[in-house]
Amino acid sequence: MNTLVVKPGIELFRLTGLQDLQSLAIIGLSKNAGKTTCLNHLIAAWQASGQTRVLGLTSIGRDGEPRDILTDRPKPRIYIPAGTLIASAQGALQRSDALLEVLELSNIRTSLGEVVICRALSDGYVELAGPGSAEEIGCIADLLRNHEPDCLFIIDGALSRRSQAGAGISEAVIVAVSADTSSSPEQLAEKTDFALKILQTPSLNQKDKDLLLETCQCNPQTRVVIVVGEERTVTMEIPSLVGHGKELAKKLVPGTRLLYLQGAITDQVLSELLKEAHFSRLTLVADDGTRILLKPEVVQKLRARDIDLAVLTPIDVRMVCLNPTRSNGLKLDSATMLEKMRSLLSIPVVDLGPALM
Amino acid sequence: MKTSVMISKELLNQVGLPEVMQSCHCRTPQGKRLKNAARFFTNSSHDEFVAEITAIARLVEMVKVKHPQVLEAQTQLSRLRELRGTFSRLEKGRLLDDTEFFELKGALTIFFRLSRLKELMAEAGVDFQVTKDASALLDPSGTGNPTFHIYSDYSPGLARIRGQKKKLERDISQAKGNQRKILLTQRALVTAEEDKLEEQIRLQLGEKLQAWLPQMRHNAETCAILDFRLAKADLAVRWNGTKPVAVAPSEPAVLVDSRHPLIASILQKKGLQFTPISIKLKQGSTVLSGANMGGKSVALKTVFLALLMTQLGYFPICNHLETPLYDFMAFESHQEGDLHWGLSSFGLECVKIRNHHRRSQNQQGLIMMDEPCRGTNPAEATAIVQALCRTYGRSSSTFFIATHYNVTPAAGIRFYQVRGIRPEVLAELPVQKTGSESDLHEDLSRVRKIQNLMDYRFEEIEGSQQTPSGAIKIAELLGVDQTLLREMMAAWQEDQWPNLD
Repeated sequence: MNTLVVKPGIELFRLTGLQDLQSLAIIGLSKNAGKTTCLNHLIAAWQASGQTRVLGLTSIGRDGEPRDILTDRPKPRIYIPAGTLIASAQGALQRSDALLEVLELSNIRTSLGEVVICRALSDGYVELAGPGSAEEIGCIADLLRNHEPDCLFIIDGALSRRSQAGAGISEAVIVAVSADTSSSPEQLAEKTDFALKILQTPSLNQKDKDLLLETCQCNPQTRVVIVVGEERTVTMEIPSLVGHGKELAKKLVPGTRLLYLQGAITDQVLSELLKEAHFSRLTLVADDGTRILLKPEVVQKLRARDIDLAVLTPIDVRMVCLNPTRSNGLKLDSATMLEKMRSLLSIPVVDLGPALM
Repeated sequence: MKTSVMISKELLNQVGLPEVMQSCHCRTPQGKRLKNAARFFTNSSHDEFVAEITAIARLVEMVKVKHPQVLEAQTQLSRLRELRGTFSRLEKGRLLDDTEFFELKGALTIFFRLSRLKELMAEAGVDFQVTKDASALLDPSGTGNPTFHIYSDYSPGLARIRGQKKKLERDISQAKGNQRKILLTQRALVTAEEDKLEEQIRLQLGEKLQAWLPQMRHNAETCAILDFRLAKADLAVRWNGTKPVAVAPSEPAVLVDSRHPLIASILQKKGLQFTPISIKLKQGSTVLSGANMGGKSVALKTVFLALLMTQLGYFPICNHLETPLYDFMAFESHQEGDLHWGLSSFGLECVKIRNHHRRSQNQQGLIMMDEPCRGTNPAEATAIVQALCRTYGRSSSTFFIATHYNVTPAAGIRFYQVRGIRPEVLAELPVQKTGSESDLHEDLSRVRKIQNLMDYRFEEIEGSQQTPSGAIKIAELLGVDQTLLREMMAAWQEDQWPNLD
C-alpha cells in the first residue's frame, strides 16, 4: 500500500471487508483518536459504493456533538444519508438536524434520556448518545434489526472506552489511534502494537471454554473460576475483582491450570496474585481483549512465569486508523508514523484524512 | 391499605401478601401502580367491591378458555408506556418533542384497538372513550403508520422548505471543497427555518391535543383497571382461586378448604400436602387451641391471607369464602421477632391491644392474635386473654385468637381446636431411645414423623375443653429422660387439680 490517504470506497471495503459484516465497532486507544472521522469515512464509502443495505448507528457514550464537552474544542460531526437508522438518546436527537422519524422507544435510559430508534428521512447531522453497557448495545442491535434485519450495525466508541466495545457485541473492530498516544512515531508504533496484541488475545480452546461457560452457568454469581487438573473447578463469588486479590491468591493451589477472571483484569488485581508462587504455568482467561488492562511490564512478568493469556470471545481487528493530529491542533508527520506502524503491525494501517464535513 | 390493615411489615411478609402481589403480573405501568396502591374495600365500598369481583369472575372464564380477545388485550397492554409525564407536560402547555408525540400516538392506537374488543370490555366492566379525532391529529395523511415525525402535511410552508432542503442535500452529496462548504451553510439556514416552522406546528399540535387530555387520561386509567383485573383473573386461574361473597356486616366470615398458596407450594415440592382449613368466624371471639406442632400459626396466616386478599379485590384460594367487608384488619404475632428489639415486648403488645380495642369501638374490624402474652406470667396472661375474649365477645368486631391459655366459656366466645394426633395413634408410637449424645439427623427425622401424623383440621368444640396434654407425650416420644418426664407429669397434674391436697 503506497498511498498515505486511502480513497473512500473500494479500498476501504477491501481492507475491512465491510460489505460482508453484520456489525462493526470503532474503538479508540485514547480520547480524540479519530473515531468519528473514521465513522464518517465509512458512511461516505458506504454511500459512494451504492450499497443497498441500510446502516444502523449507535454510540457507546456520546459522539457527533459539535464541540468537545470537556475541552470545548470543535469536533467532527456525524453526517448521515437519508434511510440510515440511528439509536440515540432523546436529548441528542434534539441537537440533530436530519429529519428523523421515530420508529420505536427502547426503554433504555441514559443521562440524555431514553434511547430512541429513528430512521433518517433526510440527509443531515446527528448526535449519537447510546447506552453504556454491552448488554444494552445487544438490545439496541435487536431493535434496529426489527426494522432492518440486514443492516450493518456500527457502534461508535467514546472516550477510550475499550472495556465496553468487545464482549462479542460486534463481529469486527476498527481501532482508531492518534498522535495523542505518543508524538514519537517509534513509541506510537510500539504502544499500538502492544494494545493490538492485547485486544487480539487468542481464544481459549473449545473444550476449556465449554468447561468455564458451563461452570458459570451453574454458578451465575461467580466471578472467578479456577480449574485444577483436568476438570476440577473452584468458583468464587465476589462483588468485583478489585480489592479481592489476596482472597483470590489464597484460593490458588499447585496444579492450577486455568484461572478465569470475569471483568477487568488490571495491574492491581494481578499484583496480589504475582506474590503467590502457585501463580505460574497456567492460562489466565479474560472475557475478551478489552477486559485486559495491563501494562507491558506486567504482561512481561506473566510471560516470565509461563502464564499465557486467552479469551472466551476473540476480537477481530480489521484495520487501524491513524489520526496524525494531536488534540492541541498540532499535525505530525503522517508518512513517518504510518511507515513505523506498518513495519510493526500485521494489520492494515491507514490515515483516512479529514472526512468531508 | 396502609391505614386499614394493621400488621408489621415482617409479619405481612410471612403472611405472604408481597408474594401474592408479585405473582399478579400487570403489564402496564398504570396497572402496576394500581396494584401497588392496594385498595382496601370496606363495607362502605361494598358496591364497588361487588363490581370488581364480578368483573374478575367473568374474566376468569375468558382467561380459562384463552379467549382470543384476552390474548389481544394482553398484547396491546404490554405495549402501553407510562404517560403521566407526557400528560403533565401537555396540560402545562409545554412544547412536546417527537418522542412524546410518538408516545401519545402509540397510546391512542392501543386505546382504539382495546375499545374494539367489545366482548372483553363488557365482561371486564370497563369502557373507553372515543379518541379517533385525536389519533387523526397525529396521523394527518391517515396512513395508520405507527411511526411519527412532524409531517410535511401539517403545513404547505414546511413542505416547501423541505423540498428546498432536499435539493440542497442532493447537491451537497455531489459537491466537494469550498462549494460543499457553501452548500452546507445554505442548508444550515434552511434547516433553521424548518426548525422554526416545526416548533410552531408542535405548539399547535399540543394545543389541539390538550383538548383531548380528559379522554386520554380516562382511557389510560381504564387500561390500568383492565390490566389489573386481567392479572387478578389470571392469578385466580393459576392458583385455583374462588369468587368471594360479601355478606352483611352481622354475618360471619366462612372459609371452606382455604389453602395458603405459598406454603402449599413449598410442601408440594417436598411431596407433602397442605391440609385445607375450614372455619366460621362470627362476630365476637373465636379461640383456637390445640397441641404443639398443630399448625395453629400457619392456620392463622392462611385465614388472614384469604380474608386480606378478598378485601384487596383478589380471589382467595378456597373452595368457598364469604365474609363481611371489615372496616379494618389487624394481625399480631410475637413469633415474628420484634423490629423494636430491646424494648419491652409486652409493652409493645399492650400498645397494639390498646389501639385495636379503641378502633373496634367505632369500627367493625377483624383482629387476629397468635399466642399473645407468651412472655408474661401465666396467671396474668390468662386473665388478659380471658378479658380480651370476653370484651370482644360483646363487640361487633371479630376477634380470632390462637392461645395455650385456658379461656373460660362466656357469651360471644366460640372454641375451635386443631385435631392434632389422635391419642390412640400417639400411644402406639414407640418411644425414641437416645444415647448420651443426640443425633441431629435422627431427631429431625423423628420430629418429621410425628408431624406427619398430625391432623391439622379444625373442629369446633363445646366450651373450653382441657388443653390437650399431647405436649408431654411428644416430649416422651422424642426421648426426654424419664426423671424429667415424671417431673413434667407431676407438675401438669398439680396445675390441673391444684386443690386436691
